[in-house]
Amino acid sequence: MNWLKQTRRLINEPLLLAMIVFVWALLIVFIVYPILMVGIKSFEPKTGVYSFDVYRALFSKKYFITPIINTLKLGIVVASISVLIGYIFAYSIAKVNVPFKTFFRTVATFPIISPPFVIALAAILLFGRNGIVTRNFFGGVPPFEIYGFLGLVIVETLAYFPTAFMTLEAILISISSDLEEASLSLGSSKWRTFWRVTFPLSMPGILSAWLLVFSQSMADFGTPLILGGRYHVLSVSAYLEITGSYRISYGSGLAILLLIPTLIAFFVQRYWLSRKSYVTVTGKPSVIKVLEPNVYVKVMFTAICATLVFAVFLFYGTVLFGSFTKLWGVNHKLTLENYKFAFTYNWKYIKDTLLLASIATPLCGILGIMIAYLVGRKQFPARRLMEAFSLLTFAVPGTVVGIGYLLAFNQKPLLLTGTALIIILVFVFRELPVGVQNGVAALYQIDRSIEEASLDLGSSSNKTFWKITLPLLMPAFFNALFTAFVRSMTAISAVIFVVSGRWNLITVRILGAVGNSDLSQAAALSYVLIGIVLLAMFFLRFVTINFSYQTKIRRAMS
Amino acid sequence: MRKVLVLILALSLFTVFFAKEQVLHIYTALDENEWPIYVNAFEKATGIKVQVVRMSSGELLARVEAESKNPQASVWFGGPALDQIAAKKKGLLVPYKSQAVEKVPAAFKDPEGYWVGIYFGAIGFVSNTQQLKQLGVEAPTSWYDLLKPQFKGRVSLAYPYTSGTAYTVLAALVAIMGEDKAFDYWKQLHKQIHHYNTSGSACVTQAGLGEITVGIAFAHDIITKGIAKGYPVVLTFPKEPTGYEIGAMSMIKGAPERDLAAKFIDWMLSVEAQNLMVKWNRIPINPDATVAPGAVRMQDVNVIPMDFEYFGEHKDRLIERWKEEIEYGM
Repeated sequence: MNWLKQTRRLINEPLLLAMIVFVWALLIVFIVYPILMVGIKSFEPKTGVYSFDVYRALFSKKYFITPIINTLKLGIVVASISVLIGYIFAYSIAKVNVPFKTFFRTVATFPIISPPFVIALAAILLFGRNGIVTRNFFGGVPPFEIYGFLGLVIVETLAYFPTAFMTLEAILISISSDLEEASLSLGSSKWRTFWRVTFPLSMPGILSAWLLVFSQSMADFGTPLILGGRYHVLSVSAYLEITGSYRISYGSGLAILLLIPTLIAFFVQRYWLSRKSYVTVTGKPSVIKVLEPNVYVKVMFTAICATLVFAVFLFYGTVLFGSFTKLWGVNHKLTLENYKFAFTYNWKYIKDTLLLASIATPLCGILGIMIAYLVGRKQFPARRLMEAFSLLTFAVPGTVVGIGYLLAFNQKPLLLTGTALIIILVFVFRELPVGVQNGVAALYQIDRSIEEASLDLGSSSNKTFWKITLPLLMPAFFNALFTAFVRSMTAISAVIFVVSGRWNLITVRILGAVGNSDLSQAAALSYVLIGIVLLAMFFLRFVTINFSYQTKIRRAMS
Repeated sequence: MRKVLVLILALSLFTVFFAKEQVLHIYTALDENEWPIYVNAFEKATGIKVQVVRMSSGELLARVEAESKNPQASVWFGGPALDQIAAKKKGLLVPYKSQAVEKVPAAFKDPEGYWVGIYFGAIGFVSNTQQLKQLGVEAPTSWYDLLKPQFKGRVSLAYPYTSGTAYTVLAALVAIMGEDKAFDYWKQLHKQIHHYNTSGSACVTQAGLGEITVGIAFAHDIITKGIAKGYPVVLTFPKEPTGYEIGAMSMIKGAPERDLAAKFIDWMLSVEAQNLMVKWNRIPINPDATVAPGAVRMQDVNVIPMDFEYFGEHKDRLIERWKEEIEYGM
């Protein structure tokens, strides 16, 4: 009876017990309860009446079925293309010795740290009926319809292929090149080696990346709201049901339909695929030897990478240019007016976003590290369950979280709508998995013997935590802070349900500006946001360099 | 390290819970670039601080309904009276009467004082002149002109359930043609639509940018966001009558800042405030206020008399029918 032993030990450690109870209370109130509320509400078409009416409507009315099919179709197409592109990109960087690797990699990760709808904005500026490309190369007749399925595929692919790329790069690097060399020296061609060795070994990574991108596309809200046109997807339909028609139970039902596939994808990816990993462990440090391909292959891969990077530059450059133009499409005179507007009329949005994200980030980091420490270092019943719940918001689409918070905290005793606190809570618990994951990963790398040494030398476990474990966790902590901050600054899908007059956010404002076709204003605001994110990145690098234990050790030694 | 963390925590909690001051909270359906004209002047004139959230009228109605147990704003400022009548029927508003409200002509306010008009606006068409030339068609002057094959996939307006403008269009069509015929007409129109927006005036800029050829919106939005900005657009009206709005404001039931809200409503009706509408080419309700040259007054266009009470009361039903039969019905 393992758990009995663990429970008995817990009773002897009241501080630890208190921490566990505290964390569980938070997880239940702020993660489980809101999501449950969405589920319950979807069975309550009228207040106090419980029935299956909502689901009956969802599966019989055309105006609900269409978005369901649309969402799945979009997710599948975007995931497939993104993984294909991501794989080529990752293969070029990890296995083919292409030039400008660092440059390619940096540019490819740009879409991850910028607000997601910037690319959608760029697509309109470029390929709309009056976009630069349409006007200059196609004589004003759009080459394809950017508002709708095709536009969504292009924009989401560009936004999410970096996710696939990062996942696949890690996998490809971990495949030992010894195997490939063995295959080659046994007489297989490079082509055959790829299909018989490299590709099968990277299969779990490919599936994993596919599921990740699929979930991201399903959950995306900003892009389809801007570019969807008449192509309706679940996240937007749920939003319009609630904010447009105040039919909360139908919105909740749609949100649940959105939740199911993403949850399945998450658990398959996390608990099944991660076990099926064919990562080759040899015992000796494997050196990545990059196989030098022939010139043509190398040129081809470089060209593919360059094209992608060009696309990223084109999209972000267009928005930058747009932010300095007087009136996009009509008057391209350069002006600073849009930035002046951003810092006067829209200053409140910038200020609020900065303030709320700055408050939420450290709270999120501390809680995340705390959970990581409990899960990674302590033994107690339902430990894995705690980890799963703390990672849950990764899998749950923002739309579901937003609706959940709207439902859960709209009445006493937890009356939070309209406050700053509700936005902060959304930030904290939505980005919590970042802290937990970073912390757990870092803890696995810290050898327990260091902590044991401290304990053996007579330090209390409390002192060991503060003096040994925590300082070693600091880089992971700062990294989590940065990621949480960036994701909070650029979040939209959940917070759009909880913003209010007192507290509003810059992303919501940008979405409004795009919806209103004030494209230059939206572009300027987007770049203000990107500027803040870049500043935060430099600040983080400064902090990690100056406060990390490595620097301290180096200083102490010199 | 621990002390620093505790300090950050304490400070952040402090700022969240104690940084409150007396301010007036307003929900507005006016354009994000328009409401500051009035609100900034009001702040200057009275010294009262104001915070504003902008939503489309339909979204605003949904928000007020959602918050009815815990109202977050005191004033509903702007957007067609229709949506505010719908809110009144749902018991979301509280009547307000004052000397300033008394002076407003009876046609432009609720007899019980639930809402009071601020401006008048007529529905018109905004067309991109360059594309009209390319397509070889005249700017539409009839609702049926929008059904011309040249305009297929080139017309835009907003969803009637998110936008007060678009609901006014629906109501006007019902008033002009009768309900069933209006829906038959929109079924034809739906085939011409490029996409629907959430905001009623968005199609003006889209027509200006050439994303679409014809948009349906209020004349003052077309003038201000289209013509005055320098876009190549032209404003026309349907020769069958067109619809119109009384732009209104009202006090939200359970308003957290009643006194400030009363001051704002009174001030908005003053000549000083109503004169500011020149900047957005609106037609002010106050007969003493200045009218912008070129702005479209009630007597300038052929408008259908509209029973706002009826359309406010039947909003839910008409919207449901629209969704079922038109948005997803085809």
